[in-house]
Amino acid sequence: MTTTDVPAPGDFVHPAVFYGSDEEYLALLVPFITDGLAQGHPVAAAVPGARLRLLRGALGAAADEVLLLDMEVEGRNPGRIIPGVLRRFADAHPHSHVRIVGEPIWAGRTRTEYPACAQHEALINHAFAGRDVTIACPYDTTALAEHVLSDALVTHPLVWGATRRFGSDHYAPGTVVERYNLPVTPTADTRGLSVTTTAEVRDARRFATAEAHRHGLPAERTANLALITTELVTNSLRHTDAGCRLTLWRDADHLVCTVEDTGRLTDPLAGRHPVGSDRQGGRGLLVVNHLADLVRTHTGPHGTTVHAFVRFAP
Amino acid sequence: MTKAADARRSGLVDRTFGLGEHDHVCWQYTAPGEFRERARDFLADGLARGLQVWYVAPGAAADLVEDLHGVEELDTGLRTGAARVVSLDATYPVGTVVEPVAQVRAYAEATEAALAAGFAGLRVAADCTPLVRTPRQLAAFARYEHRIDHYMADRPFSAVCAYSTTEVDDAAYAQLACMHPGANSHLPGFRLHGAGRHLTALGGEVDPGNEELFALALERSDPRPHDGLLVVDANGLDFIDHRALMRLSAHATDLGATVVLRTRWPGAAALAHLLDLTNVRVERAA
Repeated sequence: MTTTDVPAPGDFVHPAVFYGSDEEYLALLVPFITDGLAQGHPVAAAVPGARLRLLRGALGAAADEVLLLDMEVEGRNPGRIIPGVLRRFADAHPHSHVRIVGEPIWAGRTRTEYPACAQHEALINHAFAGRDVTIACPYDTTALAEHVLSDALVTHPLVWGATRRFGSDHYAPGTVVERYNLPVTPTADTRGLSVTTTAEVRDARRFATAEAHRHGLPAERTANLALITTELVTNSLRHTDAGCRLTLWRDADHLVCTVEDTGRLTDPLAGRHPVGSDRQGGRGLLVVNHLADLVRTHTGPHGTTVHAFVRFAP
Repeated sequence: MTKAADARRSGLVDRTFGLGEHDHVCWQYTAPGEFRERARDFLADGLARGLQVWYVAPGAAADLVEDLHGVEELDTGLRTGAARVVSLDATYPVGTVVEPVAQVRAYAEATEAALAAGFAGLRVAADCTPLVRTPRQLAAFARYEHRIDHYMADRPFSAVCAYSTTEVDDAAYAQLACMHPGANSHLPGFRLHGAGRHLTALGGEVDPGNEELFALALERSDPRPHDGLLVVDANGLDFIDHRALMRLSAHATDLGATVVLRTRWPGAAALAHLLDLTNVRVERAA
């Protein structure tokens, strides 16, 4: 990924919405929603559960006309928000301007999650360049760290505040994609396996499943881990010559499947192209993004490492 | 290997005795005498179950009779007609490409004849190696193996189909084995066979390591819908990846049908949902 491959936005409008209270939240977003409805635009709001209840209450009967989604569920893994939430809704209305409230970053996001969240915000610009869509992204200025708010100025060309709206002088989303292209350090309790042929994909999956059983991962989540492992290993084998290294490890509330290879990820939206797109192949990483609770990717000239986190709790 | 009271053996099978009246096992063998020993076990067991048994292999009939000598039940069966030998050399000219429908009809008629003669059914131990030497033979025989399995699931016809590693390599064997509910090798990884009442069964694991084999098996088995539904008994399914599920969906789409995948593996429902496969309905197997 490079900083230069993000095209300039066309009709796409992507403001960061800075709010400091519930009142400001509603004052900024309710008109955005109701004005959209008044113009006949499809409107969706994917925000954390508490914000969702707040919005629903304020919208009253108008809430029935808005697709309301709990971002803590739909967007737990930031990697699936573009295909599973934003593009899913926008693509369903190809002939109309679409308004979406998308709040992927909240105070409860962990330090491990945040880099993926910031990259997601940056990549929205790439995914929607030229699209007749507005995606407004609320940021809680009282609860979020300073660097998070600073990053929002880099990932959004516009800022909507309680008192004014302005263009961001810091807008340069590619720099955020690169800045958060960070390695993840597995814990000491790791077990690994090298995989070099597709005939060994089954062994890799069984290895991951055995680790899931050893750590007590529930059955449904173990099935997800089996799919994730299969897709990551297969992806490596198809795009590199030297095979890959699979590692399973535990990180607090997650079992993590790490796959490391010598390839370089050249498509910054890999795994974020929706199912319905015309692209052939490329669904492996999309499956991973949908099933994992977090995906962190570190790519560079010497290789790519993907970490897929699967929570023990549903 | 699984075995319910009325179920067929599926998955890995490591012996040829103790098999039921509907079992269908693909057996890869290496040592020259192995097939003979496995057949003797399988057929003697069949006689004890009241089945008529056939020993089908290349060679002169007299030599085939000799193969069975020394096992009391088989010697008795050969005398009474409960046991028969069939020389492949006499039945199939060299290079014969089997015609699947006719071949199924022949064994169905033989099974019904055995039942009419008072037997509990028919059991065949066959060394099919000479029938799969060329790609055309192999393709036709794989289609036959799938088709006959549907008959076997419903009627009392059981068989061990043996293939020698000296002539049938692993890739060819896998093409045949995946059409059987049971096999003595993990090679194919999955199995696509009959499940009774025109249903198709899918078991094992389908992933990129065997996706080409799965595509071939799906094309050869060509499962057909009934009343717009292509019901797949996937009770024995342990894994299917998104490519294989999409392939199954596409097959059904071509037939204007909806796939009903009955499985206990929770990943299938998640995949169908996230891929928006609107013509795949995942139901939890009983």
